[in-house]
Amino acid sequence: MSKETNRVLGHADESDGIEEYDNPLPDWWLGLFWFTIIWAFGYGIHYHFIANRSQESELAAEMAAADARWPTQAEAMAAALSEFAVTAEAVTAGEAIFTQYCVACHSADLSGGIGPSFLDEEWVHGGQAADILRTITEGVPDKGMVPWGGILSPEQINQVGAYVMSKHSEATGRSIEDIVAAGAPSA
Amino acid sequence: MEQSTSGTVATPASRPDYDMDIVKKFFTATVVWGIVGMLVGVVIALQLAWRPANLGLPWTTFGRLRPLHTNAVVFAFGGNVVFTGIYHSMQRLLKTRMWNDTLSRIHFWGWQLIIVAAAVTLPLGLTQSKEYAELIWPIDVAITLVWVVFAVNFFATVAIRKVEHMYVAIWFYMSFVITIAVLHIVNSLVIPATLFRSYPIYAGLTDALVQWWYGHNAVGFFLTTPFLGLMYYYLPRAADRPVYSYRLSIIHFWALVFLYIWAGPHHLLYSALPDWAQTLGMVFSIMLIAPSWGGMLNGLLTLKGAWDRVRTDPILKFMVVAVSFYGMSTFEGPMMSIRAVNGLAHYTNWVIGHVHSGALGWVGMISFGMLYWMVQNIWNRPLAYPSWASHHFWLATIGIVIYTVAMWAAGLMEGLQWRALDDAGRLANPIFLDITHRLNPFLWLRVVGGSMYLVGAVMMGINFWKTIRGPSAPAGARVEGV
Repeated sequence: MSKETNRVLGHADESDGIEEYDNPLPDWWLGLFWFTIIWAFGYGIHYHFIANRSQESELAAEMAAADARWPTQAEAMAAALSEFAVTAEAVTAGEAIFTQYCVACHSADLSGGIGPSFLDEEWVHGGQAADILRTITEGVPDKGMVPWGGILSPEQINQVGAYVMSKHSEATGRSIEDIVAAGAPSA
Repeated sequence: MEQSTSGTVATPASRPDYDMDIVKKFFTATVVWGIVGMLVGVVIALQLAWRPANLGLPWTTFGRLRPLHTNAVVFAFGGNVVFTGIYHSMQRLLKTRMWNDTLSRIHFWGWQLIIVAAAVTLPLGLTQSKEYAELIWPIDVAITLVWVVFAVNFFATVAIRKVEHMYVAIWFYMSFVITIAVLHIVNSLVIPATLFRSYPIYAGLTDALVQWWYGHNAVGFFLTTPFLGLMYYYLPRAADRPVYSYRLSIIHFWALVFLYIWAGPHHLLYSALPDWAQTLGMVFSIMLIAPSWGGMLNGLLTLKGAWDRVRTDPILKFMVVAVSFYGMSTFEGPMMSIRAVNGLAHYTNWVIGHVHSGALGWVGMISFGMLYWMVQNIWNRPLAYPSWASHHFWLATIGIVIYTVAMWAAGLMEGLQWRALDDAGRLANPIFLDITHRLNPFLWLRVVGGSMYLVGAVMMGINFWKTIRGPSAPAGARVEGV
């Protein structure tokens, strides 16, 4: 800004008395403007033609990194399923989880609300233990059911599943053994 | 007849007979709608912090009052401020009365009726659901007609001007009149179904892109370029200093109006919008930093040699803080349009903080500075309570800082907590509502900051009321700055 002339242009009679100086553009301002223009071209060319980036590839890279960092998650789920059992401790722990996360949609007495009731014979997404645990884990996003697999641990999912199954059993008289029985999950 | 504070203005004998009545009309509407719009803002801020403030009635819930707030402050307060300044300064800059007084009045009453229609329809839930373009199609048609009336009068006045050279403020006003017409018409194209309902002609992604082309440039050409025009007139007048650089004003004007219009897609980063269009929105936003700062520089450097008065004159204080917030938020905006930053900031309260540092800091403060200068000049009276102007300045400045800092903190907190993972790769904060509850202290801080800003504006309104009704300055006396 050392190049300031502070020379008045002499337009004041045409601008209601406001004078204007004939000062040059500040060098740093002009430099900043050129820098952003060059950067804009450089970024665009690099993003699309050199690095070949896209938001899809960004997502794929993030998911691959997550798979590499937490490789055991799928196995842990499978392992937890094989250990599933409806025990008194699991039901007690599951009740606490149910109260915290599930009552908003399934209501405190499990009679349903936004989500279905667990006290009748109907299971919309399958009524075997494997189906129920899978529904909790993967959710039903189209219907608003949250995929709890990313939120609860496999052990917690087992516990809340055990609680739901024990309550279902109490209400309908269907035996726990029948629910947990191995074999093809119902449709 | 207007009494000028400046010794450089034409003598009364050669001064055209300007239409000052229309300026006073818009001035009054500005102050009234400004207070209303800011009051609704404080109400909805309270609703977010304290749910019972929604009153349990459909007409008073946040969802309906929020568009009422944005429309009131942008189009009612902001619009009337700009019209006040344009009708006042353009007559003087072009040395001619407005081309047609009737058109001026149709513009004034038409605009106020549109505002009233908005204030009735939005609480009733009648909306097009497009942000900043919520008003239903009959009101959109009315806006178009009133805007055409204004544009005809504006350009006819430019055509009959008594000067050859057009001052920089007029260029900025022109960009406002032309671009807002184009934006409003293109974004509001709908097929009416009933009197209150319509279907947009665009579908899906096209609709989103047109909407944000409109939304972004509403900020650019409704809240930026006309206010830069006001700054170019009222700041040198209030400071009684020459504009720092004519060349800078030309370069930054053309750079700003050319670059601004392309930056809209930065509102749709990480969406279904094609990657190339997202890149375009991002890089054009970065290239906007220097053109925006050109306006800030020309404002601040114009005050060189008047800094001693900035310490004592509330009008100049308002203007300096306005220009500083303009520079700050026009740096923050481009930073937020960078993909990686946007991934964190988008959908958080940071965006609300950013908007309000521009709206309260730049638009509000430059308007207050202009209004305090103008009330004394067009009514030829000293301020009734000069010290209140100073109190207003400090209330507003501290209020903005509390507001924006609270929103930055809230935005960063929720942005980081949404994405945080625990050691097992699961969401560290799986329940969205938990994060929402943690925002509450910041939402209360916003109520405090916003209330301070509102109280300042009410003090300004009382001050103006007392000033206008008070005794005029003795004939020939120079009205002193407060």
